[in-house]
Amino acid sequence: MSTLQDRIREWGHWIVFLLLEITSLVLLLRYGSYQSSVWFTQANAVTGKVLEIENRVLSYHNLGELNRQLTETNLELQCEVDILRHRLALLEHDSTQTELELAAHLNGIKRIPARVINNSIRDRDNFITINKGKADGIRTEMGVVCGTGIVGIVCQVGRHYSIVLPVLNSHSSISCRLKRTDYFGYLKWEGGSPLRAFIDDIPRHADLKEDEMVETSGYSSVFPPGIFIGRVKRILNSDDGLSYKLEIGLSTDFARLRDVSVLDWKSAPMIQTKKENEEE
Amino acid sequence: MILIFLRHLLQMLALIALQVLVCNHIHLFGYATPMPYVLFLAFFPLNASRIGNMLWAFVLGVIIDAFSNTPGEAAASLVLASFVQWPLLCSMVPKEVAEDMVPTFKSMGRWNHIRYLSILLLVHHTAYFILESFSFFHIREMLITYASSLLLTFVLMLIIDTLRNGK
Repeated sequence: MSTLQDRIREWGHWIVFLLLEITSLVLLLRYGSYQSSVWFTQANAVTGKVLEIENRVLSYHNLGELNRQLTETNLELQCEVDILRHRLALLEHDSTQTELELAAHLNGIKRIPARVINNSIRDRDNFITINKGKADGIRTEMGVVCGTGIVGIVCQVGRHYSIVLPVLNSHSSISCRLKRTDYFGYLKWEGGSPLRAFIDDIPRHADLKEDEMVETSGYSSVFPPGIFIGRVKRILNSDDGLSYKLEIGLSTDFARLRDVSVLDWKSAPMIQTKKENEEE
Repeated sequence: MILIFLRHLLQMLALIALQVLVCNHIHLFGYATPMPYVLFLAFFPLNASRIGNMLWAFVLGVIIDAFSNTPGEAAASLVLASFVQWPLLCSMVPKEVAEDMVPTFKSMGRWNHIRYLSILLLVHHTAYFILESFSFFHIREMLITYASSLLLTFVLMLIIDTLRNGK
C-alpha cells in the first residue's frame, strides 16, 4: 500500500484542474499586452486559413475584385485631393517649409492592399483580421485605412495574417485634429454604437461647430496627416466639466468592411531621408 | 476506447465548426451570442476519467479562443464546467443506472436532463463573463449580454440535443 499513489489517485483531478485553470489564466493575462503569442489568436496560420476560406466562400469573387479596385481608386483620389488642397493652401498664403514637406510626403506612401477575413463590431474589444502578414511587409504599428477613412492600427503580425486594433476597441487611441481649426485630441471609443467615437479634452476657448470635419493629425508616426475620420455630431461637456468632449460620427462603416490598405509610410523614401538627417 | 475517442473528436470538430462559422457571427439584438460548444461537456459518459474530461475541455476551449481572439476565457470556463460535470451528473442520476451511461433525455429523464444542461451552462457562462468583466466598462450592457447569451445558448442546446436524440 503506497500512500503517495493513493493520494495522487484521490487528488489527481484537483491537480489537473488547477494546472489547466492556471494555464488558461496565464493566457488570458498575457494577452492583455497585445504583443503576446501569435499561436493563440487569429493571427496564426491555421485559424487564419479557416477564416479566409470561410470568407472566400461567403463573398462573390467578382464583387470582391470590383470592391478592391474601388477602394484603391478612392484612396488614390483622397490622397490627390489632399495634395491639391495643400497646393491650394500654398497658393493662397505663404506656406511654411513643414507644410511643403507634408504635401510631398503624402505622395510617397506605400500602400499594401489587404482583405478583411474576420471582423467584429459588437464586443467591447473588437479586432479585425486581415490576410496579409510579415511576408507581405506588414509590421506592427502600421496604420490601416479603407476607402471611406480610417480603420485602425496593426497590433499583431503573423506570417500571412495580421490582427488590426480598430477604432472600435477600448484600447484604441488615435491622434486626430479638427480640420478647420487644428485643435487636436485623441479619438477614443467607449463601446456601444459602432458609428460614434469621442474626442476628449478640447479646451473651452476652442471655436467649435457641429458637422465639422475631423482628420488624423500626423503627430504620431502611424498615420500621415489629413486622413478623414468623421464629422463632429454633438458637442458635449467632458466628465470633469473643464473641457469639451466631442461626439464624432465615424465615416467608416465597420460593419461592412472588406478591402483595406495598410499604410507603410515609415519606409517611404522622403521620411527616411528626413530621419537620417535627424540622426546625423 | 478508440471509438469513444473518435466520437469525442467528431463532436468537438462539429461544435467548433458550428461556433466559429455560424455562432460567432450571431449578435441577436446586438447582444446575444450563443455558445453551444458547452454541449460538448454534456456528452461525457458517467464512467469517463475526470482528468481526461478536463483535458478535452481545455483543448476545445483553446481552439475556440483562438478563433474568437479571447485567449484563456473559454478554456478556463470550460475546464471549470467540466470539473463540476461529474459530481453534478452523479447527483442527478438514479443509483441503479449502467456504469457507462451517456447522459441523454432518455437515460436521465427529460426534466433531469434539462436541469443538468442548464446548470452546466450556468457555470460556464458565469465563469466566462466574470473573466470578461476584468476589462469591461459597461456593467449594465455586460449583464444584458450575459443573460441573453445564456438564454439563447440554452434554447439552441435544447434544439441540438432534441435533434440528436430524434435520429
